[in-house]
Amino acid sequence: MSVYAVNKFCRTVVHDQTFRESLRTEPQAALLNAMPPLADDELQALLRGDIGWLSRHGCNNFMLHNLGRFEVLGLDLPTFAARMRAEYRVERESWKRTGEWPERDAGGAAPTTLSEG
Amino acid sequence: VPHNPHFPIIAEQDTDLGREVTYMYGQVADRMQACAADSVVFFTSDHYNIFFDTCVPIFSIGVADSTRGPSDYPDLPKYDLRLDPVLARHLQSQVVAAHFDVGMSQEFAVDHTVISPLHFLTPGLTVPVVPIFVSGFMRPLPTAQRCFEFGRALRRAIEEFPGDRRVAVVASGSISLEIGGPRIFEDHHTGVPDPQWLDRVVDLLAEGEFGKLVAHATDSQLARAGNAGGEILDWITMLGMTDPAPPEYLDVQPRFGHAFAAWSPTDGGRR
Repeated sequence: MSVYAVNKFCRTVVHDQTFRESLRTEPQAALLNAMPPLADDELQALLRGDIGWLSRHGCNNFMLHNLGRFEVLGLDLPTFAARMRAEYRVERESWKRTGEWPERDAGGAAPTTLSEG
Repeated sequence: VPHNPHFPIIAEQDTDLGREVTYMYGQVADRMQACAADSVVFFTSDHYNIFFDTCVPIFSIGVADSTRGPSDYPDLPKYDLRLDPVLARHLQSQVVAAHFDVGMSQEFAVDHTVISPLHFLTPGLTVPVVPIFVSGFMRPLPTAQRCFEFGRALRRAIEEFPGDRRVAVVASGSISLEIGGPRIFEDHHTGVPDPQWLDRVVDLLAEGEFGKLVAHATDSQLARAGNAGGEILDWITMLGMTDPAPPEYLDVQPRFGHAFAAWSPTDGGRR
């Protein structure tokens, strides 16, 4: 697990249209060509779109969200967000109980297809 | 000001949000235009587009003749942006002499954090810009105190500039925002993890209490504010260039975790 390779992979998704297209048509081949090389467990997690596992192992959540934004590896933003919530369900409930995080929703103001930053 | 990449499109829509965005940016833009600035010093935190784990300056100044963007949203219109390399190089040399070890970037494309606000503030993007990058995402972040002092040094450097420039200063960033992390909303891929922090920041801005804001903006507080919580450092650097006073205009969009504010020169703008 290198983390850096995954974060760099996510950055390449944002900036390299050719790589994005190859990722959509031949995901395994594209992942095998990623530089620096991905570790096998990273590659398998990416193929599964398992952003929860990648987040748990220290990959950058902001960088990971780009996989949903660019709709690669079976993800889109709602799917990405649902998997992130599911991965951290226990913590989210704990944060709500303790008042550490006063969760509320976006109030319908921000369409789910949009991305801020 | 904030920098939601889709606000330029949303502002053109006949919706409550579109009208709200147009109004809030308009309030700031009116004051920008009243300044009749020759150049804009623009603080932002690059979103891993120019800088990445390979190379991360804490502060950097863009000294190119021009740039283009946004680099990170291929579906959005691209703009060419004139820069002010003469002022940029002066600022870099002056602040380095003042013991701020600031890097420089000579070839780069800017992301939505620059283009989206300028779309509203300088229509046509005709005013040359000096982009100054504050590392707000990749820890360790600079301290709020360091950013504030950096702003002070930049103000002195502008006041000492031998040429003739009227300079406006813009900071681009949110106050509490989580993007893609565990603390996102139930119905969106972003969240506002610390609305109390947003309220406190807005109150301190309203009171012109810049020193208290700096004191409260600890690293742990910024982490609680979300994975984009470091963007307040852009505001704080800008406040270092500003006379402590309540803003002429201040407004907030709580559901986005960000605010709009504007200060006009207290001396009419000496340069």
